[in-house]
Amino acid sequence: MKKRYLSLLLIVLISFRLSAQEWVVPAENGAKLSPFAFSDSTRKAGAVLFQTNCKSCHGDPGKNNAIALVPPPPDPASAKMQGNSDGALFFKLVSGKGPMPSFKNTISSTDLWRVISYIRSFNEKYVQQIAPKSGIAGAAENVKVLLTWSKETNQVQAVISAMKEKRIQPIAGAEVKLFAKRYFGNLLIDEARNTDAQGKAIFNFPKDLPGDSAGFVQLSARLTDDAAFGEAKADTTLAVGVPTYRPPLNEQRAMWNVVQKTPIWLLLAYIFTVLAVWSFIFYVLLQIRAIYKAGINKNQDTIDS
Amino acid sequence: MSSEVNTDFLHDKRLDAIAADLLRPVGISKGFLIWMGFLTISLMGCIYAYYIQWDKGLIVTGLRDYVSWGMYIANFIFFVATSLVGMLISSVLGLIGFKWVKPIARIAEIIAVAFAAVAGLVIVSDMGRPERLPYVFMYGRIQSPILWDVTVVTTYMVLSALLYFIPLIPDLAISKGRMGHQPKWLQATYEFLSVNWNHSSYQYKILLKAVRILLILIIPTAFAIHTVTSWLLAVTLRPGWDSSIFGPYFLTGAFVAGSAAVVIMMYFVRTNYKLDKYLTVYHFDMMGKLLVLVSIVYLYFNINEFLVPAYKLKTADAIHLHELFVGEHAMLFWSVQLLGLILPIILLLFKFFRKPFPMLVISIVVLVAAWFKRYIIVVPTQENPFLPKQFVPHAWMVYQPTVIETAITMGTILLAVIIITILFKLFPVIPIWEMAEEECSGEKDKHQE
Amino acid sequence: MSNSNKDTNNNNPQSDQNRGNSRRAFFKNFGLIGAATAAGGAAIYSGFKYEESKPNHDFVKVLTSDNRLVEVPRDSIKDIKVDVNRLQLQGREGLKGHRFVMVIDLSKCRNARKCISACQGAHHLRPYEYHINTLVMQESPNTAPYYMPKPCQHCDNPPCVAVCPVDATFKRQDGIVLIDNERCIGCRFCIAACPYSARMFHWEEPLMSVADKGKPYNIELNVPQKKGTISKCLFSSDRLREGKLPYCVSACPNGVYYFGDENQDAVTNGTTKVTHRLSELIRENGGYHLMPELGTKPRVYYLPPKNRLFEFKDVKDKTLEDQKT
Repeated sequence: MKKRYLSLLLIVLISFRLSAQEWVVPAENGAKLSPFAFSDSTRKAGAVLFQTNCKSCHGDPGKNNAIALVPPPPDPASAKMQGNSDGALFFKLVSGKGPMPSFKNTISSTDLWRVISYIRSFNEKYVQQIAPKSGIAGAAENVKVLLTWSKETNQVQAVISAMKEKRIQPIAGAEVKLFAKRYFGNLLIDEARNTDAQGKAIFNFPKDLPGDSAGFVQLSARLTDDAAFGEAKADTTLAVGVPTYRPPLNEQRAMWNVVQKTPIWLLLAYIFTVLAVWSFIFYVLLQIRAIYKAGINKNQDTIDS
Repeated sequence: MSSEVNTDFLHDKRLDAIAADLLRPVGISKGFLIWMGFLTISLMGCIYAYYIQWDKGLIVTGLRDYVSWGMYIANFIFFVATSLVGMLISSVLGLIGFKWVKPIARIAEIIAVAFAAVAGLVIVSDMGRPERLPYVFMYGRIQSPILWDVTVVTTYMVLSALLYFIPLIPDLAISKGRMGHQPKWLQATYEFLSVNWNHSSYQYKILLKAVRILLILIIPTAFAIHTVTSWLLAVTLRPGWDSSIFGPYFLTGAFVAGSAAVVIMMYFVRTNYKLDKYLTVYHFDMMGKLLVLVSIVYLYFNINEFLVPAYKLKTADAIHLHELFVGEHAMLFWSVQLLGLILPIILLLFKFFRKPFPMLVISIVVLVAAWFKRYIIVVPTQENPFLPKQFVPHAWMVYQPTVIETAITMGTILLAVIIITILFKLFPVIPIWEMAEEECSGEKDKHQE
Repeated sequence: MSNSNKDTNNNNPQSDQNRGNSRRAFFKNFGLIGAATAAGGAAIYSGFKYEESKPNHDFVKVLTSDNRLVEVPRDSIKDIKVDVNRLQLQGREGLKGHRFVMVIDLSKCRNARKCISACQGAHHLRPYEYHINTLVMQESPNTAPYYMPKPCQHCDNPPCVAVCPVDATFKRQDGIVLIDNERCIGCRFCIAACPYSARMFHWEEPLMSVADKGKPYNIELNVPQKKGTISKCLFSSDRLREGKLPYCVSACPNGVYYFGDENQDAVTNGTTKVTHRLSELIRENGGYHLMPELGTKPRVYYLPPKNRLFEFKDVKDKTLEDQKT
């Protein structure tokens, strides 16, 4: 019995240690608040994002069907998860740890807040606090991102501007990231840059990134701190890539391709051989007929004679 | 086959004697009915086994994802192999001009027809979706060796059937008037199949021409049929199959199996039909020599097939050869090689063992070994794939044939025996007109006893 | 899809047999076909059938294939059958302009086997029926053992496709090797020809053959599975069509898999969702193909198991219990 108590104690201690060791969120980050109020539409959008990005490990909220990992991914509806402040959840989503990936570059912070709004929908006691509007965003509206490409330097330039004091002004000191759209995700180009006094950020574009057949690449520039700027981003298609046309992989005639793409020599050899052999066979069959006919005549001959 | 037929024998009394001898076994006898009844009932059991497989799927066999070809494919190769002898005896030896093959040629053709016909069914027994067989013709891919195989097996079967039937025509005509005691339907069949044959020299000329075309045509076809069958294995990348000599290796092996089958049938005809006057000790002696010859050629290819990779011992080959030489399949491998190949070569060098009865025993051993040889070619290769076999039930890693599988395989063999029995009993097994022609034209070989 | 959309089934001739089970699959396919037909109106349709007889210009909401909600006049709506032929056609044609590749980072694989269960769940397979399997590998006695996930390599010179007698397995323009179990005759020549042991056969009735009965056959998902036919890894081509990563790739908790398009020189990690340059990833990590000497030209790259962050633990018993016995 004693042993059992001891082991139980040990387990409690270990789990305590584990949770105690877990993920310390800096106070500054933990206090962060969502820039917008959670609503049905944010929860709905958050649910979709959760399905595609989180469910495979965390399972369905409230169903405790997370997969077994070490440490175990907490159920979003659990007290453990809900015990986090909004800012702490946001920090964890952005930074990631161990098996938990960082979603910094893959999901925009607006979308991350939407995921948090979805997670909070499983907590009845939750009351949201919204960040006070402040900083540039407080004054800036209609943030615009303009992307251009300079062929000589092979650089993409992003110019950020916004309505400020009723006129359009460049935004300086904002962090911008440039992505190239690929089929399954966005490829970070160069690295995050801060805008200069003219609101410009310049990215070195790789010389060998494949574009479509005319070299067009869909680019997307995003302001990193979209809590401050709202969802400011620009999607532009520019001819910055290497014109790429790769023929369909099943285009050429080959042994492994479909019957319509049989190698010509094989097709001819097959048809020729089969025809040759079978024409002889038919010839032999005709000979049997000839024997039969010869028999009729001969019989008649014998009758006549 | 000579280019002209001397039709003098038609008016010779000796024809009557020969025809009487050779037609004696023809017809529905009590023994035939009992034997056929036994075969049919046994076959019913096997068909029931196939019904179970049809219903439950191939799960009832010992086949699984790793060893997905087993007894059925081995059996298929065996059938194709055995059927090849028709080409060897009547065509190659006949065209060269060996007279002693004349009474044996039809036996060889019967084996060819029966085994080629059943080979098609054997391959169906291996299919997961047998009802989709027509797809092979509807959507056939010319690049697939299976399509080539279907094409050549069909062609070979037709050629063999013609080569059986056309030289039979004069016999049917000769027999017509000599089988009053036979049932009406059999006489009608003879009448119908004899296509107005009246022994005119014109008809003989056409017949010889047709047969000559067939004899030449069947040589490349027969080579193709077994080479293509060997390619079913050789076109893959697997150790043990990935071999460039698989074509000739299979072909020569086929001659061994086929010759053995012919000897067994010869012995049966000689003793059961009391035709020892036509299938003499001399014929067995010659067949014995033929068997030694083809066995030695086959041995040569065996040495090539095993010695060369065993010398280099590439990783995958080494594992495969280890299994064969000293591993799990060593017992079977060495039995097959020694009993089915080495021992017959040594024994048949002595005249005593080329006598009918010793020949029968040796041939049975050779034929059984030939079947297991195909098994040894098909199964062990798949038990040693390139990547490890893991996280599957134990039964998936090794191949253990089941009762149902064995029964279905037995069924195909029974079916071949049924076809052979019917052809043996309904039509003369030894060509009457060729025997008579030889006898009467005084060309009969002196050494016949 | 909205509630009202579901009721469209009433308009569908096949709904009698397929109702319930096939509904989800049905709509998934539908979206691809084009306008997801008669939308919400169907609820009203049953209640106000008499209105059908007179010309009307009601508008109904319809969800289009590009996820726009539009209104169309009710009388312009036509029913579309769940067109298996259409599924076959698009499945055989493949996705234009793409060449899909997978990169498997062996330094991250801990044999969690989540890829396997996700795959088996999606394709209705038993625990020992694999489209993808994770193997314990050791090249030679003194080299370090490692785990190796092994899907179909989707070779550019596929030996399995070459031997198929009926075009049941084929290679698409995007590089994916698929299997059509409506065509397969079950000869298993492809199993014999594949050096990677990547193919499986349905020796018995498939796991969910009863539940799947009557569902339209989706060649890109290979569901319903059929007894007596081959099945194999499909690179989850049904997911790719929707722009999503394969089942196994997104299920991996350890970041082992990258999946992407060679034409775009980009692969996306299934766990972190971060996109990388394919060429860089291979160059920097020494990517390689499995058994390149066989000349099969696989579309799967492996990154060697170096600098592993965990200790390798061997699996003692590498057999699975047969669930049936």
